[in-house]
Amino acid sequence: MPIAPTLAPAAATRPWLMKLLKPLAGWYSNAAGYRQMGLLGDDLISEENETVLKALHRLSPQQSYDRIYRIRRATQLSLQQKILPKAEWTKPEEDVRYLTPILEQLYAEAKEKDALDTLTVFKKH
Amino acid sequence: MICRPALTRGSQLALRRQGAAKLAQRGFAAVASPAASYEPTDITGVKVASRDDGGPTTRLAIVAKAGTRYEPLPGLTVGLEEFAFKAGRPCCFNRVLGPKDAVNTQKRSALRITREAELLGGQLTAYHTREALVLQANFLREDLPYFTELLAEVISKTKYTTHEYHEEVQDVIHMKQAKVDAAAIALDAAHSVAFHNGLGAPLYPTPSTPIASYLNENSVAAFAEAAYTKANIAVVADGASQTGLSKWIEPFFKAVPSTSQSSLVNAASKYYGGQQRIAKVGPNSMVIAFPGAALGANQPETAVLVGLLGGESTIKWSPGFSLLSKATSATPGATAKATNYAYSDAGLLTIQINGSASAVRKAAEEAVKALKSVVEGGVSQENLVKAIAKAKFNLLSGSEVSGTGLVHAGANLIHGGKPLQVAETIKALEGVNAEKLKAAAKTLLEGKASVAAVGDLHVLPFAEDLGLQV
Repeated sequence: MPIAPTLAPAAATRPWLMKLLKPLAGWYSNAAGYRQMGLLGDDLISEENETVLKALHRLSPQQSYDRIYRIRRATQLSLQQKILPKAEWTKPEEDVRYLTPILEQLYAEAKEKDALDTLTVFKKH
Repeated sequence: MICRPALTRGSQLALRRQGAAKLAQRGFAAVASPAASYEPTDITGVKVASRDDGGPTTRLAIVAKAGTRYEPLPGLTVGLEEFAFKAGRPCCFNRVLGPKDAVNTQKRSALRITREAELLGGQLTAYHTREALVLQANFLREDLPYFTELLAEVISKTKYTTHEYHEEVQDVIHMKQAKVDAAAIALDAAHSVAFHNGLGAPLYPTPSTPIASYLNENSVAAFAEAAYTKANIAVVADGASQTGLSKWIEPFFKAVPSTSQSSLVNAASKYYGGQQRIAKVGPNSMVIAFPGAALGANQPETAVLVGLLGGESTIKWSPGFSLLSKATSATPGATAKATNYAYSDAGLLTIQINGSASAVRKAAEEAVKALKSVVEGGVSQENLVKAIAKAKFNLLSGSEVSGTGLVHAGANLIHGGKPLQVAETIKALEGVNAEKLKAAAKTLLEGKASVAAVGDLHVLPFAEDLGLQV
């Protein structure tokens, strides 16, 4: 599976489970440490991959520029063994998925192509 | 008349049979070529022209008022043409083919459209003329519901996405731009000096045309929104039954809006005339153009004049009778052809000459001489008969072998005219005599011409050198 397997959709349909897991997920994202370096969750997707490269091409020029800026800043921070001042940390509400929807679209395209390549026709008329 | 013994037995038989057929025809109540003309109808606000010859294949086309004449910004027509049959994101993996399921209208990806059309053995094409954008599907007769749905979906549900524009549309446009040759540039230049705006817009922008700032997915989407409305489209069907059309057009074209807030550029055409010369490396081309006959105009002498000027030989091993082919037989390396480009409110009669620079120069001089000879010396009875026969054949084969007939029928409908009435037009062609032809040629030469020369300008002549007024 190209995008990491997830139980999130199943949890989203059960409000009680959602309520239980949400603080945990928030804690996990913060503990992962990328927000302290000013990155977004989707910046961590490895780009050594044809599909991801194609998805990156589909970003708007502004999105693409911001992404490169965040990554360069994080590289610099990593080199200096520092983290950003707390005011510049990525806030949870800013941590949106900008790349995942495009990736999902690309995987759907590939899946459709695969389905059409291996299709069986039943004539109904 | 040709003497009988000169003919072979086969042709004698054919002649005799023709006479017999005429005799037989006289006995019946005359039905004037039933399948030759398109019948216009209106199906829930959609203008439809159809013709059914009962054959096994069907040609179904949407002719939209979105040709280069109506584009608000340069390049939008080609953008819209390339976006045809690319319809957004993939979805619905378990779609099953068949007319029953076809009612569940869902958006399809470009890939799905291609694969489904292939499974049904259909052909999808999109092309444009100066006035119309044509989305055409050729398919087996029984697949009418599927392709009706597809064409309706393409005009009402296509998503003009940024990534498809960058990944697929833009590259194709660049490739097609690189293929625009001297002949096309000369024809565009002649239209441009003849009509300035509107019909004068180039049919395909050249690589040096600045379209990058106007053409993007948003401007194309806005143009599509203005152009694909019930008022601006006509559905033309060749080989589909009337009952099938009225059954399937109604549900599938529901989603097409009847009007749009934004309107198309629509100014009446005016003939100006003039001269344009463009330097270009490679093949040379010249276009000498005069005001011609508009679609549906009652000008049979223009059609006969085109037949008389001709150009391309239609029989083997002979240059043919036409004036232009005789003129070019003396100038090897050049070809000349006369055409009447008919538009809704104007026409352009062109003589196009292609070839090497010196041959084109000589052929252009000869062509103008040939036209002058019609004015001065008139035309022989034999040539007139041949020219009328040629004009009749051009008209009939054009309306029969689909393509031009399909586009003309649609163009007539969206401009509020009637589809071509073949029987009446044929009668008008037969009524042309030498005097009328002479008068028509005279008005052409006395009026202002539109001359375009593309290629080696050191050799190619000016309009004044040819003896034309611009």
